[in-house]
Amino acid sequence: MDMHSNAEAIFNEIQEKCLWQFFSRAWDREENIDGILTKVGEIMAKEPSTTETMADKYFYADAKVVAAELSASLPWLKDLDRDEVKAVLQSVKEMLLDITVTRSLNGELRVKNY
Amino acid sequence: MPLVLFDCDTAIPERKRHCYIKEMGEDTTQFLPSSNISTIPGTLSERGCSYCGAKLVIGGVLKDTIQMIHGPVGCAYDTWHTKRYPSDNDNFQLKYVWSTNLKENDVVFGGMRRLKASMIEAFAEMPNVKRMIVYTTCATALIGDDPKKVAAEVQAELGDVDIFVVECPGFAGVSQSKGHHEFNIGWMREKVGTWEPEITSPYTINYIGDYNIQEDSYVFQKYFEDMGIQIIAHFTGNTTYDSLRGMHRAKLNLVNCARSAGYIANELKKSYGIPRMDIDAWGFEYCQIALRKVAAYFGLDDKAEEVITREVAKWKPKYDWYKARLPGKKVAIWTGGPRLWHWTKALEDDLGMKVVAMSSKFGHQEDFEKAIARGRTGTIYIDDGNELEFFEVIEKVKPDLLLTGPRVGDLVKKLHLPYINGHAYHNGPYMGFEGAVNMARDMYNAMNSPLWRLAEEDLSGVDGYAQ
Repeated sequence: MDMHSNAEAIFNEIQEKCLWQFFSRAWDREENIDGILTKVGEIMAKEPSTTETMADKYFYADAKVVAAELSASLPWLKDLDRDEVKAVLQSVKEMLLDITVTRSLNGELRVKNY
Repeated sequence: MPLVLFDCDTAIPERKRHCYIKEMGEDTTQFLPSSNISTIPGTLSERGCSYCGAKLVIGGVLKDTIQMIHGPVGCAYDTWHTKRYPSDNDNFQLKYVWSTNLKENDVVFGGMRRLKASMIEAFAEMPNVKRMIVYTTCATALIGDDPKKVAAEVQAELGDVDIFVVECPGFAGVSQSKGHHEFNIGWMREKVGTWEPEITSPYTINYIGDYNIQEDSYVFQKYFEDMGIQIIAHFTGNTTYDSLRGMHRAKLNLVNCARSAGYIANELKKSYGIPRMDIDAWGFEYCQIALRKVAAYFGLDDKAEEVITREVAKWKPKYDWYKARLPGKKVAIWTGGPRLWHWTKALEDDLGMKVVAMSSKFGHQEDFEKAIARGRTGTIYIDDGNELEFFEVIEKVKPDLLLTGPRVGDLVKKLHLPYINGHAYHNGPYMGFEGAVNMARDMYNAMNSPLWRLAEEDLSGVDGYAQ
């Protein structure tokens, strides 16, 4: 599988399973997608992950579940090295932002108040 | 396939933007049903009113609070006792109903004197109850009554009571969703931070968007207590008025129903920095994910695994019995909004069923993004579905079972199709591990009931049934 196919497989899993990509507003979605997938990368690369703030803990908690589910459903992930994992997750971030924020037809995403 | 216009809607072509059938390769950037907009004249909507969203769904669940409905008596009666959310204090909120019983004279001369007298009378009749929510209705909003002024007077006169006023008449929005919003934002603005809860654990959460339907709340409450987690406030199943005033002290907002209560989680994050974590509380697998996520946040992974191991051992054999008998069954989910996306994958991945149609009464586009992302290709997605559309969809997809409310449920019963009450359940709880078993059991029983065959028989000549 090439990089795009790898990213697409992860993207499809996340689209079907994860609620955090669909929070109420564009800024919440951007924050979650970046924060959680960054932590997923750290967990998969077995790097230390900061959990000092409540926000860090939250990203880590959702990321831990995502990483476990991806590892179970996409076994080829374990064959990727650290740089490949980071690169493929960067592509996934871009795909998720594209569908849930940039090209989303949801008219409430940029309403100022909740 | 783009958005679709059903045959029954040819006279109201505006309905096309609310109906979608998903095809392979399509995503929500191409087609997303319009939603949370006004019902089109001529369509037989199943929606509720905005006042109902505030009172019946959220406020009315509180177990220690007088619910004073300022309006004609029907507004009180019709939002009382129609949803089964019990409490552990002998169901105070289900036993009593309060109304100012507005009459024509009050409409002409104003209802504020009657409101004040009713509030004082209610507190006098129930001297141990010191909390009250006052709701405006269409009539009292239109005549310009000022319930906040009255509430301030009553608080000042009685001294030891606390009152929250929800100004959300039935016409305030396009559906009950507006009532959810008004309650959330109003409570956050006026009440959160005005009471200090007793903290008994370093691990504290608000459990948001669960209304103790047939004891749902007790299920997760037990899991969390076993993990050493304190629920500061339960928004709003089996909860107290004051615990909701202390929501600012939790370290995590755990959200199940994001549609009715995501607002307060967002505001708590904005004002107090408390993270919002969304979960699916229904579904055998989802339940495990939810507990693991919360555990990971607090560093309680071992505790979560203990609970999961115990509960899976207890319930999985029963669950597996139904799991072997439900695959391939076609289901339609026609509920409020969130249960579309909460349930579709749980039914399909856990039980092998096929969700062939979904309809939402008050969901927003966010809910359709989730439902379509999780839903199958070929499935029909409808916003604010009308009665004729339901008949047409049934003809098209021929479901084996419908998860819906009593209004549509009674319609489909006449077609001899089994339905499960998707709002208040048949025999819950439906959340958690045991809830997943209960739901599977009710679905299995509904589809295998001999009543459907008997209902088609002419019993007029049978002994004992004649006349």
